[in-house]
Amino acid sequence: MMVRVSGALLRFTDYRRVISVAAPTVGAALIRLADEYRPLKPVLFDREGRVRATHQIFLNGEQLNREQLTRPAGDADSVDLLLPVSGG
Amino acid sequence: MPRWDVYQMPVDTGYFTPLGLQPTAVCRLGFNAAGRWLSEHTLSHRRLVADYQTGFVVWSAQLSLDEPIKFVDADCLEMRVTGRIRGGGTQFECEVEVDSASGTTTRMQACCVPLRLDDDPSLSGTPARLRPEVMGTFLPDEIEIRPYRSPAPGLRAAVGRDGTVLARGRTPFVIHRHQCEVADQWYWPEAVSLASGGREELVRVESGRVPSLRLGLSMPLRRLDLLFNRPFFLFDEGAVLSSAHKWQGRLVFVHELVGVEGGEPRALAIEQFTLPSERACN
Repeated sequence: MMVRVSGALLRFTDYRRVISVAAPTVGAALIRLADEYRPLKPVLFDREGRVRATHQIFLNGEQLNREQLTRPAGDADSVDLLLPVSGG
Repeated sequence: MPRWDVYQMPVDTGYFTPLGLQPTAVCRLGFNAAGRWLSEHTLSHRRLVADYQTGFVVWSAQLSLDEPIKFVDADCLEMRVTGRIRGGGTQFECEVEVDSASGTTTRMQACCVPLRLDDDPSLSGTPARLRPEVMGTFLPDEIEIRPYRSPAPGLRAAVGRDGTVLARGRTPFVIHRHQCEVADQWYWPEAVSLASGGREELVRVESGRVPSLRLGLSMPLRRLDLLFNRPFFLFDEGAVLSSAHKWQGRLVFVHELVGVEGGEPRALAIEQFTLPSERACN
């Protein structure tokens, strides 16, 4: 699937905006993405390994909650990672 | 009594246009003044972020300008600033007055929403009431129960309902790093710059057809209302959707800052210019 990364997260993916990730589910794709781009890991996941509630995740435009990250996704699907607001 | 800070700020030409103090500069100076006040009387912005996991995002701001402050007026601007909590800790409001030696004043009022930051490097956060230990640094006179209500939505509705549309335009933009703050999120005064750019483009393109639009370049801004829904981030693409109106004897520009993905505007800016006839009456 293609994972699209929004502006505030770009510096954690070496400024790549669209990244192809092979994984069976959305949640698995996020883990692989964070493995490939290590600085992204503490940004996306908390210390318990859960996706932080401050991020919004969309599958083909549909916003997913944390329980829906087990949703299967294939090559034709796209996932958007969005940080709605930052406290800088 | 609420605490005020008063200090001098040396001027440089970059703060000004030929018409007077730039609205964007007022917002930047004003936000800096609020940070100075917080640091002096409560907690510094850096400590709020680093030690108290508290960030602020500006949600609403207003500028009102008397006669323009000019570069040649004086060597320094006199800055006056105070701050307070509103809405039981769900808002931080600052008031800033910029005075010139000629006796004119520009006022900025900005209302921020506190964020409880996660402990990650992106400074991600969610809106939350201020922590008690932060609230405790404010005096009782600096805490107001009533929340601040932005006049911008009502103003936009009134202009749309009762005004006459003169022209419309669209100015695309991309957010780059020089427009951002520490988290690669746009620095909110950029909304003022983008809206100004949208107005100037509208005047440049449409003033042959609507000559009165040139007043939007030749007259100083008198009032600016801003409302923020969602920020733009580094490399986000968007557009300023501008419309010019004649309303209550004023020339008004309404700017919606939208992302290319569509949806609700991420920010709204309403600029008001007093027309010469009304100025003569005042």
